[in-house]
Amino acid sequence: MISFTNETIDLDQLPKYEATMLTKPHPKYWTLMVINISVFLIILGIGLAALLLLNDDAGLNWLIWIALYLIFAVFLFIVYRASFKRRGFALREKDVLYKSGVIAETTTIVPLNRIQHVALNEGVLSRVFKLGTLQIYTAGGNSGQISIAGIPIEQAKIMKEALVQRLVVQSENE
Amino acid sequence: MFTDFSKPQRQSAAGIIINGAYIVQKFVRAMFIPLALFIVKSNNAALLYAALGLAGILVVSLIYAYFYYLKFTFYLDPKKQEFVIDKGVFGRKHLNIPVEKIQQVNINQGFLQKLIGVYSLQIDTAGTESKEVNIKAINGEIAYALKEHLLTGNNVTELPTEANLAHDVDEKVQETPIVKIGASTLLKVGLTSNYGQSIALLIGFGYAVFHNIKELLKAFDNDRGQLEEFFKSGITLISIGILFTGIIIILLATNVIRTFIKYFDFQLSKHQKSLLISSGLFAKKNTLLHPSRVQITTYSQNYFQKKIGLFNMTLKQAHAGHQPSENEMKSNNMEVPGCNADEKEEILKMVLKQLPEQGRTFSPNFRFLNLPLFFTVVVPLMVYAFIYNLTPEIRPFYGLAVMYVVLVTLMIYISYTKHRIVVSEDFIIKQSGIWDISQEIIEPHKIQSISTSQYPWHRKLDIGHVTLHTAAGDIRFLYGNYTEIKTLVNWWLYKVESTEKDWM
Repeated sequence: MISFTNETIDLDQLPKYEATMLTKPHPKYWTLMVINISVFLIILGIGLAALLLLNDDAGLNWLIWIALYLIFAVFLFIVYRASFKRRGFALREKDVLYKSGVIAETTTIVPLNRIQHVALNEGVLSRVFKLGTLQIYTAGGNSGQISIAGIPIEQAKIMKEALVQRLVVQSENE
Repeated sequence: MFTDFSKPQRQSAAGIIINGAYIVQKFVRAMFIPLALFIVKSNNAALLYAALGLAGILVVSLIYAYFYYLKFTFYLDPKKQEFVIDKGVFGRKHLNIPVEKIQQVNINQGFLQKLIGVYSLQIDTAGTESKEVNIKAINGEIAYALKEHLLTGNNVTELPTEANLAHDVDEKVQETPIVKIGASTLLKVGLTSNYGQSIALLIGFGYAVFHNIKELLKAFDNDRGQLEEFFKSGITLISIGILFTGIIIILLATNVIRTFIKYFDFQLSKHQKSLLISSGLFAKKNTLLHPSRVQITTYSQNYFQKKIGLFNMTLKQAHAGHQPSENEMKSNNMEVPGCNADEKEEILKMVLKQLPEQGRTFSPNFRFLNLPLFFTVVVPLMVYAFIYNLTPEIRPFYGLAVMYVVLVTLMIYISYTKHRIVVSEDFIIKQSGIWDISQEIIEPHKIQSISTSQYPWHRKLDIGHVTLHTAAGDIRFLYGNYTEIKTLVNWWLYKVESTEKDWM
């Protein structure tokens, strides 16, 4: 009871989540995204080529199809570039922030004491680039969870360890 | 036996077979239709190749399963009190689950597992994918020992199942119920609520009847469109009126019957710290509910219910698993179909410990209207105008189009005026709805995470959205003042992060 205080809280004095400095994903992650998009585009391109060669009607309008394909490809790169530029994460003392979004910009904040568990994912390609995806689960269902891609694996491991430690410390306090 | 789980260990070796079988099963399920077509259509030689191919897949699956088995380890970290799983052949996945977050441990035995004599073990933590933590083949003794360990290792005693408790309660305590719904109230409830569900039910039923009669006529090779003819000839102004009344009567009757079957003899009483709810005409359903597990408390009222002072309440509980099915969601929700204002307050006090006080109200910007108006009014209208020019047949129906526009615009406008949140020290109340106006009440410490979002074209206007994620679903407030929203979010974060209160 000694340390108990109950002062009025000034709302303006509260830490501001929107002013937090965010860490960007590693630049190598963009390379990885480009590879992923390219693979997808190549597969799509093969499909399109097959369609153009086999279907006479489509074959006649090949210029339109290829133009559409190119526009789609450029569009895809722009969208992914925008989404890459926008991404950022921060580990604060009491929560994790993650900002993302293609059109709308979304910031999700998960308080550390609401984390259920943490997973670190390494895809086959990510392993080549030594990147990892940190997934943070809460009880709030799919939409309220965050999955931070493109963190250098060493850093991701440290972050995961830190988050997991925090979970344990918190549960011991209870 | 081994009760030492602190060292990484593998599944039972039989897991290779189980996992292999799962992969084959997955493959066959995915390829079922092409495969079936292929078998029916092809000749013997092709069938032989197909069989060889399948055998090849089986071998590959088994090899994969073998490596999967080698790479799949689990152990219990005694120091950190975590259950750790490492898995993955190509990509690795490390999972750490703090023991105290574990809600439930399920041990199952499927058909193949029964043949081999192993069990599968699933760990449920509220909010994670149960499939993630699924050990498919584990020796029975180990499974039960592990379950014991996981659930009791950290003073987490297994909760008695709802059925057991309800049974005990049935025999021992018969306290005076807080809410008891009699036949007359049920009748009122049936007449005033849940139209949507009954309409859907009736449409489905009507379509099935129509379709079946058609099929029957077809089967006897008699279908010359009598049914359509019958309907066409029957449509006059008077008959439409009669039909309309008839449909409404049927609708109300269905509604009343449904309500009676589900909620007959509804009783809600307090039992120690829990709420005991029982109802049902044919099968009596007993549910025990702990108030602290309730995440969202909702009450709603429509125009008629307001006139007779009736409320509809729903207590939403946390659901496990990341994508609960419709049924799971429903079974986690406790409904109180009809109660008056006093009973409503009594329940609120019980669940929330106090009545929500008044707070500051936040309303959305009028731009709330833009997108819905565009997609449900402007776009359909444009489509109609386009077809109007092409096909003269639909021109006489412009009256319907006008009605549609007026009705939908009105609905969107009402939804805009009703959309708001009221924020007070201990509660967040979200109001929404068009016909049924509902109030969703949550306490800040039930928030799991918060998302805020903004469209780039709203940046100058300072408009944004906020979603509060709870274990029983999301609460969204749209098109609010973004500066205010940010202040609120910081305040809620402070509340969540500084409190010792757990959400469950």
